[in-house]
Amino acid sequence: MAGPHEILGMSRVLGIGTTEFLARYADNGGTTLRSEADGPCVFLTPSGCRVHPRRPLVCRLYPLGRSNNERGEERFAVFPAQPECEAVVGRDGTVETFLESQGVAPYLGWSRRYGELYRRMIGLLEQLDIQGKIDAPAAATPAEAAQAGSGSAGSGQEPNHVPLSSWQDIDASLAEYRSTKGIAVPTEIDGAIALHLRAMEEWLDDLEARLGPA
Amino acid sequence: MGKQEDPKTVTRRDVLKLAGTAAAFCTSFGFLHGSQTGQVVQDKHFAEYKHLQARWQQAEFKWYKGNELLSSAPFPTKVLKHLQSDETAVIELKLFRAGKMFKNLGTIESKF
Repeated sequence: MAGPHEILGMSRVLGIGTTEFLARYADNGGTTLRSEADGPCVFLTPSGCRVHPRRPLVCRLYPLGRSNNERGEERFAVFPAQPECEAVVGRDGTVETFLESQGVAPYLGWSRRYGELYRRMIGLLEQLDIQGKIDAPAAATPAEAAQAGSGSAGSGQEPNHVPLSSWQDIDASLAEYRSTKGIAVPTEIDGAIALHLRAMEEWLDDLEARLGPA
Repeated sequence: MGKQEDPKTVTRRDVLKLAGTAAAFCTSFGFLHGSQTGQVVQDKHFAEYKHLQARWQQAEFKWYKGNELLSSAPFPTKVLKHLQSDETAVIELKLFRAGKMFKNLGTIESKF
């Protein structure tokens, strides 16, 4: 699992853009990191993780797993112990103290912000009453699918690395945002994430305004 | 000339982008919706699968004379994949000579 902000962070560690990162290192429509044929994450090397300074939240949380429901409620669970893992794992303390010790606060903060956007998207989809059509690519012409972003939902025809949504690719999204708004795009990661969130909020504001009251 | 879109309506292109982004976020962040199976459960199975993969990844057979290692060989790919497939997988090890088994060396269980 990797959100757009995490893809941005990892791409900067590698010195490449998010478009290239998604093409080279992402699977499942740009939502997960690619694995080697024999299982390990593509970034795992004998000397450790290649993107460790900006590793995704799911890696930071291990051995905890986190889930959210549609109301934004979080749950944590402990994964089964893996003897091959070199991490020191204990069962003392609380989830809260563990999260503090791992410095995940900004990552959780971003995840929650994107979660708010996700709930707005679900609200819009429910309002549009198209939930049953998300996996029905026949509803769109190829031209519409291409215009909708890089890849359309559930078409199943695109290569595995093609993002399900153009919003997954922060560099490309912000380049488009800059061209329409005429503003500078921050070069530092946190600023770019903040602008990406703002751009998405504006996109949803516009959709909600066009759709009218629920 | 393409058909002009009414800027005040939500187009199919908008809907596609909205659905695609929601689907991407659902996976990227593990957000749940409606009756979806919890990501924790999915991740637990994924973790168990990865755990089995890692457990058997560098498995080897070794032949010893006392403490002296005479030879070693990695597990054949087909055997390895079976042991990595799930925790109930079992392999029987049998010694054959001229096509005839003369000793059953026992079993190797994926979950030992």
